[in-house]
Amino acid sequence: MGRFVPLILLAVAVGLYFLLPYNLAFLTRILIMVLLVLSLDLVLGYAGIATLGQAAMYGAGAYAAGLFAIHVWADPLAGLVAGAVAGAILALVSGLVILRAQGLTVIMLTIAVAQICAEIANRARDITGGADGLRGIRMDPVLGLFEFDFVGQVGYWYALIVVAVIFCFLMVLGRSSFGLSLRGIHESPARMGAIGVSVYWRRVAAYTIGGAIAGIAGALTAQITQLVSLETFAFVLSAEALIMLILGGTGRLYGAAIGTFVFMWAHHTAASNDPFNWLFVIGAMVLAVVFLLPKGLISMPAALTQIFKGGRDAGT
Amino acid sequence: MSLKQGAALALAIATCVTGAAWADTIKVGVIASFSGPFAQYGTQYRQAIEAYQAQHGKTAGEHEIEFIYKDVGGTNPDQARALAQELLIRDRVDYLAGFTFTPNALAVASMATQSETPTVIFNAATSAINKDSEFFLRTSYTLWQVSVPLAEWAYDQGIRTVATTVTDYGPGIDAENAFREAFEAKGGEVIDEIRMPLSTTDFTPFIQRVRDQKPDAVFAFLPGGPPTFTFTKTYNENGLKAEGIRFLGTAETEEVNLQGLGDAAIGLTTAYHYSGAHDSDANRAFLAKLNELDPKAIANWASVGAYDGVHLIYQMVAAAGSDGPAAVEAVKSLEWESPRGPLKMDPETRTVIQNVYIREVERNPDTNLLQNTEKGIIATVGDLGWDK
Repeated sequence: MGRFVPLILLAVAVGLYFLLPYNLAFLTRILIMVLLVLSLDLVLGYAGIATLGQAAMYGAGAYAAGLFAIHVWADPLAGLVAGAVAGAILALVSGLVILRAQGLTVIMLTIAVAQICAEIANRARDITGGADGLRGIRMDPVLGLFEFDFVGQVGYWYALIVVAVIFCFLMVLGRSSFGLSLRGIHESPARMGAIGVSVYWRRVAAYTIGGAIAGIAGALTAQITQLVSLETFAFVLSAEALIMLILGGTGRLYGAAIGTFVFMWAHHTAASNDPFNWLFVIGAMVLAVVFLLPKGLISMPAALTQIFKGGRDAGT
Repeated sequence: MSLKQGAALALAIATCVTGAAWADTIKVGVIASFSGPFAQYGTQYRQAIEAYQAQHGKTAGEHEIEFIYKDVGGTNPDQARALAQELLIRDRVDYLAGFTFTPNALAVASMATQSETPTVIFNAATSAINKDSEFFLRTSYTLWQVSVPLAEWAYDQGIRTVATTVTDYGPGIDAENAFREAFEAKGGEVIDEIRMPLSTTDFTPFIQRVRDQKPDAVFAFLPGGPPTFTFTKTYNENGLKAEGIRFLGTAETEEVNLQGLGDAAIGLTTAYHYSGAHDSDANRAFLAKLNELDPKAIANWASVGAYDGVHLIYQMVAAAGSDGPAAVEAVKSLEWESPRGPLKMDPETRTVIQNVYIREVERNPDTNLLQNTEKGIIATVGDLGWDK
């Protein structure tokens, strides 16, 4: 069944385009967030690196893509590359230091990196626009053919294709020997070390790839919103991404996609129905999932089967 | 996409671009913070909008006006843009309003221009915002607008040396630049420029540094709420007031947090465009209606920004319905009497020209509450930061 899930997800994404033609901006935001959560899944779910600072790479990618578009070349795909490179470099440099630590220290350091990036962007007002945000981003058409339109159709397809490509890449990566060694490290770093795997360097590599993907997510948001603010580095963003991942279920790519979708959808529906008290609904939902489905929403079919079977067993 | 959906979409786009001239209900989308740490601003906006509607009815010209509220949280340009898109395309609003934070307003600039939607900014106070779209109108103020008159007034009062203490973020730096430029142009001297981190909770070292240099006054800019409270408390406790170092501020004594400051606030001097204690019939009527709808409501800059913003929207709707460019044109030089005093729209900057008042915090003998008593007026100040 797992093999078909990605195709079902893709079908859902295409279907939503036709079902909700007026909500494309919101759907595009979900797609970008899926990408960020996927990068977190690689880092946390696969490689087992506890991080609360994935926004650092997201923000770096956003600023890199924004500045690249303003000063160098306004081509969207080149901008994605710029974002990926920025995210990867930041992840590599910070990862070399962070991943020498263990446990809580890692979490603290990842938060610190994001904070430092935010402060640098705040100080460098002349380059980044500081607290006012980086503006003046005007993108060329995608591939020179599709201009970003007002309704957000091109933005949606563009983001969907990027997410689909990254998703496939991560599927291949997860099944490669590299991906399997990451899972091994997640289960038992000591044992992987004992059989001759360089745990540290594998983690650095995973962190860097995750950084590149987060950078691409940041670049997408810069190109589609045409503005980058300091909030791209915000702790809240890292924390929300983590909640979405846990909601969906860690260590599975479609868990990341489903968790993001459900979280953002509930957020959106609750916030538009009651813009004043909607946070309560989100809190209740997260609590319910954590208590009833500790492995996330992807464990729901299994949990339901168990309840069903359990009931029948009790009857006999 | 099926033909039917395609047609519906095309229609939606067409109506939102050309303006639904036939619609008898005109919708206004309000994008503001209704949750999280900044929820107070959204609440102030909503109370003021409801007060205006209660006073003036729900129709302007032949059109009924309906407000749709959207929660953007805090500074979140992605969300602001997505909400604006949804409001324009799905809800087919003809006007946008709200915007507390500069990046949120900037994020919708291109959409406002493309869809020709008049967008009334209730707060976001960075001068340059209005350069990004011809459809931006602002009913709040800019930091230059209040800091420059304050600097000039201070010099005229015989203050010659000032130390500036600002919170180290965008608006703080704007305030510092505006104050220094104006004060030095007059011939005064800024002897120290202190930038305090946004997360500061203990201001003693900064206040002590000011005290050691013995300036005539200290200029402060802090975000509202707890930082202001602690800063003014530290200012008093460290004896600056007793030594005759005057306090010069802008929004620090705004009404929502004023009572919380307590007696420590008495005597603080600020320059600002609105005081809840402004002595006029328009203000009294506004306050009465606000308190009638919600006895706990307190009017401050956010309330009056929204109230005047709604007035502007009513005038635009009455003059041009849902025709965006005509609506903006119709109010470009509008003059009216606001609860804060006389207002005039500046056709160039599209920010209101208004009086800036020099106020001092006093305890009202009748109500025993603290208030910003107006002591002086600097008349008809425009957006002085436009060309900076």
